[in-house]
Amino acid sequence: MTSSVPTLQVCRDCGGGAPVDVHFCPQCEKILSLSRHGDYFAFMGLPHRLNIEAAELERRFRALSRQFHPDFFYNATTAERRASLERSSYLNDAYRTLRDPVTRLQYILQIEGLAPQGPAEASRQAPPALLEEVFALNEELDEVRDARTAGAADDVWRGRLDRARQPIETKRVAHEAQLQELSARWDTLADRPAADAERRAVLQALGERFLERNYINNLLAGIERELTQ
Amino acid sequence: MAYSDKVIDHYENPRNVGSMPKDDVNVGTGLVGAPECGDVMKLQVKVNPLTGIIDDAKFKTFGCGSAIASSSLATEWLKGKTVDEALAIKNTDIVAELSLPPVKIHCSVLAEDAIKAAIGDYKKKQAAEGKTAEKVAQPTA
Ligand code: FES
Repeated sequence: MTSSVPTLQVCRDCGGGAPVDVHFCPQCEKILSLSRHGDYFAFMGLPHRLNIEAAELERRFRALSRQFHPDFFYNATTAERRASLERSSYLNDAYRTLRDPVTRLQYILQIEGLAPQGPAEASRQAPPALLEEVFALNEELDEVRDARTAGAADDVWRGRLDRARQPIETKRVAHEAQLQELSARWDTLADRPAADAERRAVLQALGERFLERNYINNLLAGIERELTQ
Repeated sequence: MAYSDKVIDHYENPRNVGSMPKDDVNVGTGLVGAPECGDVMKLQVKVNPLTGIIDDAKFKTFGCGSAIASSSLATEWLKGKTVDEALAIKNTDIVAELSLPPVKIHCSVLAEDAIKAAIGDYKKKQAAEGKTAEKVAQPTA
């Protein structure tokens, strides 16, 4: 896996070599064009961790934004100006992705080869029991809606919604806790080789939790919507 | 994004909404979901044991307009087909018929998955049925 990832880039200006995750040529100090680069984590000088302190991420983002700022390259060569723009925009993408814990997890799954990449893989299914539960609760929501429009008393249909919400809310809390536990474990294993069995198992479990979260959140959002009627 | 007239038609007048008894050996049930949006779809087929042809199909979808239209269309197409013909239905056929835009392709994939799951369930039940029949006929140790 790691062997296919480029580790060196070449400075177009002086021809010197530089590691992929540096932004300025170690020899001539010019900004490097974004031809070969590491992933978002490497770009921001971070290990592949799921728990990243927001303040730390922001600090790095600001420091790099300043270094790449196109204003500093106003009088520089066209190549350098382009490089500063490329690095600024890649940095923005990296920051936006890593800032949100959900997209951060999705990104890790993706660079580790576990996220769905196309419609064929998108059809990976969540556990049948969860689908059954989600389906049944959606049916209950439908019935509550019908009861409400048929003129059922407020506390009657609200009571039903509350009862429908409880199990799925419990599930959300448990799900959240599992995600946190798995994330913490991942952070201790991330540096192991990709083939490490424990690392793979944790990644797999994270991927499964990730598949489930939209069902739970979607359903809870639907219940909330009904409750505000 | 504008829905095509066909999508709107299926959405406003969905065909074959409902359900059939899950335990019927001639009924196959597929329940699938799309992880990227959290939508769920249930599709059922009822196969005539004498002719092997799908007599009836029902669906219920909790999801977007395209998912509802895709499953509604799928149930229309399924009726009158053999099980093998049903398996030949591709999500791209649904995309073409309903003129779904690229962002809605996964909704049609959901319908194809639901067909496959329903037929798979039907076949599994039939196989299990065959086995119990055998066992009854010649009980073994
Ligand atoms: S948006 Fe999810 S099935 Fe259509």
